[in-house]
Amino acid sequence: MYLTPGEEKILNGERGWAYEVSMKILVRLGDLFNATQLIPIKSAHISGVSYKTIGDAPIDFLEALVKADGKTKVSSTVNPSGFDPDYLVKRFPKEYQRKQKRIIELYKRMGVDAVLTCTPYYLQQPKPNWHLAWAESSAVVYANSVLKSWTNREGAPSALAAALIGKTPNCGIHRAENRQPSIVIKVEANPRNEAEFGALGIYVGKTLKDEIPVFEGLKNCTDAYLKQLGAGLASSGMTSMFYYQKPSARNRMETISIERKDMKNAVETLSITQQNPDLVFIGCPHCSLKEIETVAKALKGKRVKSETELWVCTSRHVKNVAKRYVNIIEKAGGHVLCDTCAVVTWIKNLGFNTLMTNSAKTAYYAPTLNKVDVVLTPLKRCVNVACD
Amino acid sequence: MRTITLKGRPIVSGNVEGLALVSMKPISFLGGVDPNSGIIIEKSHDLQGKNIAKKILCFPNGHGSTVGSYVLYSLVKKGNGPKAIINQSADPVIVVGAIIADIPMVDQVDIKKIETDDEVEVDSEKGIVKVRKK
Repeated sequence: MYLTPGEEKILNGERGWAYEVSMKILVRLGDLFNATQLIPIKSAHISGVSYKTIGDAPIDFLEALVKADGKTKVSSTVNPSGFDPDYLVKRFPKEYQRKQKRIIELYKRMGVDAVLTCTPYYLQQPKPNWHLAWAESSAVVYANSVLKSWTNREGAPSALAAALIGKTPNCGIHRAENRQPSIVIKVEANPRNEAEFGALGIYVGKTLKDEIPVFEGLKNCTDAYLKQLGAGLASSGMTSMFYYQKPSARNRMETISIERKDMKNAVETLSITQQNPDLVFIGCPHCSLKEIETVAKALKGKRVKSETELWVCTSRHVKNVAKRYVNIIEKAGGHVLCDTCAVVTWIKNLGFNTLMTNSAKTAYYAPTLNKVDVVLTPLKRCVNVACD
Repeated sequence: MRTITLKGRPIVSGNVEGLALVSMKPISFLGGVDPNSGIIIEKSHDLQGKNIAKKILCFPNGHGSTVGSYVLYSLVKKGNGPKAIINQSADPVIVVGAIIADIPMVDQVDIKKIETDDEVEVDSEKGIVKVRKK
């Protein structure tokens, strides 16, 4: 890999250990994946924040980076944490609170913007052809496929290293030749709602390796539906991007057909119980303003049952601009939570056993990560079941 | 005692000797290894209950969360990291873990030729692994 004299100096430790170790990560990974040089990035999005998900693992390393005066060189954001600052925070042991706050504090001291969301693109939308270094697989797929930005699927440490250096190796899908689709997914039965879009993603993701699929015949592709499709694809597989409009030039490719029975199967496999939920969760990935509006409208004239909680998760930023809808949801007895979600907080410790959600990604992960039973169903039914 | 020499690809350089701990299964460091002791806790793993501390740890590759890299760093800080890592095919989680924790590492080694408790000498700058069979 070619390094500029300035990059060589960093690699040799002349700017201190934080940058040396970050540069080593980028150069070594670049070598392994046939990069020829480092390229500047516009932003980094870093995973590895929720104390529930990662425990004490990163604290030692983050402490060392802060001590060595590591500072981010580009706009950098982080994933959600283990609780929100108002509602859930009070329901967990002091120890959890202290550890979680420490992790966030360490990121902040490096100059990271503690947005604590998995949808950083609602705060600052990257432009087409921008190079990024993002972790959080659902955001990676959304950025590449819907926003047409360019990012590999980074891990927590490589996204952090890219943030500190402001660059990333030019391998993988930072190269145009690696962004070509290699398999056709022929959609014979169009998904009818966001839960089905997500389930289609999970179903297809399982059969792909790291191939780039092109969905043919997919109709009604709203941003919210595509977000669910991408989040599903990335959860069950290693996919980093998809196409939903035909790319101009294409070779003959292997084709997989999705029929109505496959769609049905995809949704049913993700619903592992018929029990009534004690928690209804909307907001994986975090809600957009429009999605919060949809929840508020669906709640009109309704009241959340006393034996059920309704959580709508989003970022602080979106919660602030959505005040009008937030008030409606809260008046109906729902909770609009920012900085966290049902997957990265301790729902089992809060006594929840059955989760209903419109997110296939959550339905895919929650049985193992949260040890709860799950029902996957569209937003409207989620809201109806949560209410009397 | 029979000695065999294996050649691999250098990933993180260093010179160490130690006893091999060999697994034929991928290791997930986040959730699969106790970050304080170095004991493998993943259920039904072929090394479940074994401690990786100060061993020449041989396994095919890593898997699971990329936060696993940080577990390797914490283990080394606590004195319970492996002395070296020998992989069949390096993946980003283990490579980054070895870099940040400064653990000598080689990949593209046929680990089936190494058995647990063999004495292993690693020169990861050259990618050379000498195995003295037990």
